Parts: sequence; structure tokens; C-alpha cells
Amino acid sequence: MRSFLNEQQHLEALSDNYLMAKVRDGDPDKLGLLYERYKRPLLGFFIGMVRDRDLGEDLVQNTFVRILKYRHLFRGDGDFRTWMFHIARNVKNDHFRKNKLSLDKIEKWEEKIEEPESKIAEWQSEDEHRMLAVALEKLPEEKREILLLSKYHEKKYKEIGEILGCSEGAVKVKVFRALQELKVIYQQVEKLM
Amino acid sequence: MNRVEELIVKYNEGLADPSEIIEIENLVEQGAVQFTQLRELSKLDESLEKISEPIVSQDLDSRFYEMLAKEKRTSKKSISFSWTAISESIFAKMVVGALLLAVGFSAGLLLEKRAENTEVGVLAKEVSEMKEMMMISLLEKESATDRLKAVSLSEEIQGPSKKVTDALFKTLNSDPSVNVRLASLDALRNYAKSATVREGLVRSIAQQDSPLVQVAMAELMANLQEKSSVSELKKIMEQKSTPTEVKQRIKETINILI
Repeated sequence: MRSFLNEQQHLEALSDNYLMAKVRDGDPDKLGLLYERYKRPLLGFFIGMVRDRDLGEDLVQNTFVRILKYRHLFRGDGDFRTWMFHIARNVKNDHFRKNKLSLDKIEKWEEKIEEPESKIAEWQSEDEHRMLAVALEKLPEEKREILLLSKYHEKKYKEIGEILGCSEGAVKVKVFRALQELKVIYQQVEKLM
Repeated sequence: MNRVEELIVKYNEGLADPSEIIEIENLVEQGAVQFTQLRELSKLDESLEKISEPIVSQDLDSRFYEMLAKEKRTSKKSISFSWTAISESIFAKMVVGALLLAVGFSAGLLLEKRAENTEVGVLAKEVSEMKEMMMISLLEKESATDRLKAVSLSEEIQGPSKKVTDALFKTLNSDPSVNVRLASLDALRNYAKSATVREGLVRSIAQQDSPLVQVAMAELMANLQEKSSVSELKKIMEQKSTPTEVKQRIKETINILI
């Protein structure tokens, strides 16, 4: 019984919420563990959104700077990952606002389809994944975002709804529409490649 | 076949018209249809899951850990500042008075509960031993994240045994990840009161080849005023492979120490 409790205590000690509460209460070192856990999903999300690796890394750094800055606002009653993606999304929106550009307005995917380089596809080893990554880059910003959130937030539609300020059902519809459009683009990419 | 099943079949065969797709949308919204039932979409969704995550560059890792180190320094300063401010106020005198009263009261209680405390002491020792075991086994893991967890766990161990400090030294001297080595150095800093740990730290200086760790070690030696580290620090300075910036930082440290 005691070893079970110890195991539970150990797991709790390493849970995201426990670590973030530690950071909030004056132990910034624990943010290192959260960074190690989430640096790759966050980078994947940002590169998917801004299509630039260096900029993506800057935005990951900005997200953690902001987490540290606003740590006193972490209440710990929800999921840490939801809180983190909420901040990440604000960081991304601020970046777009600051630079006054939404990439979709200046790009038409049909014109870019034959470009060889694709930031999301760059590190995919299999052809099928590369094509899918290219297709994902051609999706409009809002649809790309919902699919990236779904991927990196492990399909927790209710929590994604909290990030986007809408219901779980509305998130499912957004995912449905985004997948529908992705399917069409994927078929086009398949023909061209 | 009911309407929902009929719609799913039509959709999967590519025969659903726009109005039927809207119907499916509504069913998805209500949770009556799951993505797994829509063959092509679910295949696409699964493939999206398989897109691998990018690897983070060392540059981002360094920037993050620098930011964290800076934050730690700032928060330590702000704690000491606020303490100075408080200690000067009348309020502080009241707090100290109340604290003394509480200490006196607790001392009385402590005497009464000595027997109970022995039991608690045994339990605390067991928990501490369990954490030690967990930490040492996590240090053996292949993933750097696990090893970082281990180092972080070591900080929760009260009065660590030689086993723990030895494991931390082994990590500091041979872990392939710079981040893990930096974290173990940070953990060992807490035990620097022990002469053995200080000696171990001095011996470890010459074994470091990462500029980040070399600079962190030099800073620690300056903080600890560990004069016996000068000859080891000089060895790094004399190495051709040591970057100029690191040599400069070490030179500054030596100037502080001698």
C-alpha cells in the first residue's frame, strides 16, 4: 500500500500542474522540466503557423518568457498544457499583429504548390508525411491552427474549445471542415508531386 | 439502416451531397458521429498524428537556460531585498515577537510529542531513501528529460547521502547532454557546504569540455570563493580548444579568487 502511495506521490511530483505550481511559488528551476517536455510540440505548432524555423524558435522562447512573467496567474485548476497553448496562441497572434501580416493574405497556395521547400515537411522522412505536411502548409491559417492544436493538444477538443473560446462541438465542426479541405489539397499535391 | 448510418455510408463512398455534408457536420457537432467513422478523414487525421515533431536547436536550449538562470538570480535578489525592507519596519518587530512566541509554544509541544516524532522521523527517512533510489534509477535512463527529472528530484532529498552526490558527480562528469550536466551542477551547488563535494567540484573542472558548463563552474567557484580551484581553472585557460570568451570569463574568476 505504501509503495503504491509513494508511486502516486512520485507521479504527482512530476505532473505538469505540480511543476508549474512550484514555478509559481518561487522555484523557477522546475520550468526546465516543462520546457524539456513541451519544447518540441510548441516548436511544431509555431513552425506550422509561421512557416519559419528560426522565428518558430523565437516564439517558443517568448512563450516560456511569458509563462515565467505571468506565473502568478497560473491557478492550477485546469490543464497546464491548455494554459500553455493559450499563451502560445497569444504569442503567435501578437507576432502577426506586430508584423501586420497574415501569411494567407499574401500567399495563394496554388501559386506556391511547386515550391520545393516546405518548413513542416523538411524533417519528414516518409513521402506520404512530406506530402501531407506540404498540404497542411497550404491550408488557410485558421484551419491550419485548429489541426495543429488538435495534433499537439492530443485531440482534447473540450480543452481546445477553452483556448479558442468556443464549445467542444464547435471545435469538432472546425476540425471536420479543416480535414475536408486538407483532403482536397492533399489530392492536388499528390497529383503534382 | 437509420439516417445516421445511411449518411456515414454515403460519405465514405464519396456520394454525400453538400446538404448531406452539412447534416454530417451537425451530427459531428452533437457527438452523434465520430471522426473514426468517417474513413478518409480519420485516415488523414491519423497521418497528421504521425508527422514527427521538429528537433529543437542547441541555440534555443542555451537561450532558454540562460533566461532561467537570469530569472533565478533576479528572484534571489528580490527576496533578499524585500527581507531587508521588512526587517527595518516596526511591523517586522511585531512579526519577530509573534514568531518567538510561536517557537516557544512549538518547543513545548515538541517535548510532548517526542515519541510521535521518532515515528515521523523513521517515515521521513524511508521516503528520502525511496527518492534516492528513484533518482539513481532515473539517471540511468536514455532520455535526457528523465535524467533531468532525476537531477531535479535530488533537490528534494533532505541531507543527501554519498550515493546521491556520487551519482550527481557521475552525471556532471559524463552525461552527454549539456543541459543535464548544468542541472547536476546546480543541484551540487546546494551541497557545497560539504568539503568532499567542494573537492569533487574542483576535480570536475578539468573534465568539462562544454563552454557553458565551464563558465558555470567558474562562476560557482567565484561564488564559493574556492581558491583551490585556481590551478584547475588555469588548465582550461591553457587549452587551445577553449573559446576566447570562456578564457576571458575564467581569467576574471581567477582574478577574484587570487
